Amino acid sequence: MALLEIKNIYKSFGENDVLKGVNIKVNKGDVVSVLGPSGSGKTTLLRCINFLEKADKGEFIFDGKSYDFSKISGKEIAEIRKKTGFVFQSYNLFANKTVLQNVTLGLTSARHIAKNEAEKKAMEVLKKVGMDTFKDYYPSQLSGGQQQRVAIARALATEPEIIYFDEPTSALDPQLTAEVLEVMRKLALDGMTMIVVTHEMGFARDVSSHVIFMADGNVVEEGSEKEFFENPKEERTREFLRITNKIVNG
Amino acid sequence: MFNASTFELLVSSFPKILEYGLKVTLPLAVISFLLSTVLAVLVAMVQYAGVPVLRQLCRFYIWIIRGTPLLVQLMVVFYGLPLIGIHSNSFVMAIIVFSINEGAYSAETMRAAMEAVPSGQLEAGYCVGMNYMQIMWHIILPQAFRTAFPSLFNALISMVKDTSLASSITVVEMFTRTKQIAGQSYNYLPLYIEVAFVYLIFCTVLTLVQKKGEKLLGSYGVRK
Repeated sequence: MALLEIKNIYKSFGENDVLKGVNIKVNKGDVVSVLGPSGSGKTTLLRCINFLEKADKGEFIFDGKSYDFSKISGKEIAEIRKKTGFVFQSYNLFANKTVLQNVTLGLTSARHIAKNEAEKKAMEVLKKVGMDTFKDYYPSQLSGGQQQRVAIARALATEPEIIYFDEPTSALDPQLTAEVLEVMRKLALDGMTMIVVTHEMGFARDVSSHVIFMADGNVVEEGSEKEFFENPKEERTREFLRITNKIVNG
Repeated sequence: MFNASTFELLVSSFPKILEYGLKVTLPLAVISFLLSTVLAVLVAMVQYAGVPVLRQLCRFYIWIIRGTPLLVQLMVVFYGLPLIGIHSNSFVMAIIVFSINEGAYSAETMRAAMEAVPSGQLEAGYCVGMNYMQIMWHIILPQAFRTAFPSLFNALISMVKDTSLASSITVVEMFTRTKQIAGQSYNYLPLYIEVAFVYLIFCTVLTLVQKKGEKLLGSYGVRK
């Protein structure tokens, strides 16, 4: 059974239709890369899935329970969010909290876990992303790559069933990108279910199990990573891969 | 005018003036300021959250208070409260008026500071499972408070001086006390200069407290 399924999701901003009936399905342990040109609706899709944007209509199925995007209640959203993690393009670490507090806050305040237990868990996940020695730093004292690794640790600490990544490396230089992708690769190997909106073709190719290619608010093509890169069916996909290959290979 | 007897008058008056400064003026300013800050945070939160009806009420409150003079507000409360059966001493009335008055201005300061916190902070809070009030308490308000702190302290410093208006509703505070002493000696100007000097001392001390406070609140590593 799928862990997460989205059926026929629609979203528009005013006159601008951003999602036009997108369907996706994610099984436990899947690493799904969402590719596509800017403005194709990738980020909006991810934000709608975690209710940061309100979708106009569509069905949302999570953990075997079905919800209507237009009717879901605040309480249901809160329950679902407790089982998911989100990593932002701009990190969004809590500016007034240290690295350690950033990670523990979701445990102590939202889940009422005792402080020492939360700190133990936090140190464990910070170690995983290689940021345990920075536990008393404030976000402003860290590089972008370090901040993003802390953001991943923050998402991990709550033991989510799935983590959404919204262009997690788009704001980083190649070296910092590499350190963040390395952490994500490790998560994938650990069996974490992830949906990754990305422009990193290398990551999509090496790490993901499934690829979704979006354009103009629709899913143009989807399939296993191998099918997608080696045998794309749609002309639009081939065009996209040709252009991105040209950039990567000069 | 400035002769030996004037000097003697200034020296003997100083403790009397200072006494009323410490006993009346400062408590009046500090208590009113604290109450006004609580009020400001509540009014700012209602607007930030966009609570219907309450939000309009808050705008109405700010409109009325900012559109009328403090002195007039003092008079209205002083003569108005007894009419509706509330009899209170003038010190308490002054606190009520100063808190409500300053609350309207500080509410705008707080609202601006809250709106200056990037929306990503709120979203990140939701994504780790916190609810609105938890995010307010742990994330938005501390950051907004840090931003608003210098402006809020400005308000406190203003308030120390504005308390002299309480003399108009019979509160014997530092300025009124000075007037009484001056009236007995018919030597007004030197005493008014002296009380100005005491206000200046109070505000200088508060400025130092503000500096300490800003350090204590920290800047989350920004300029470390």
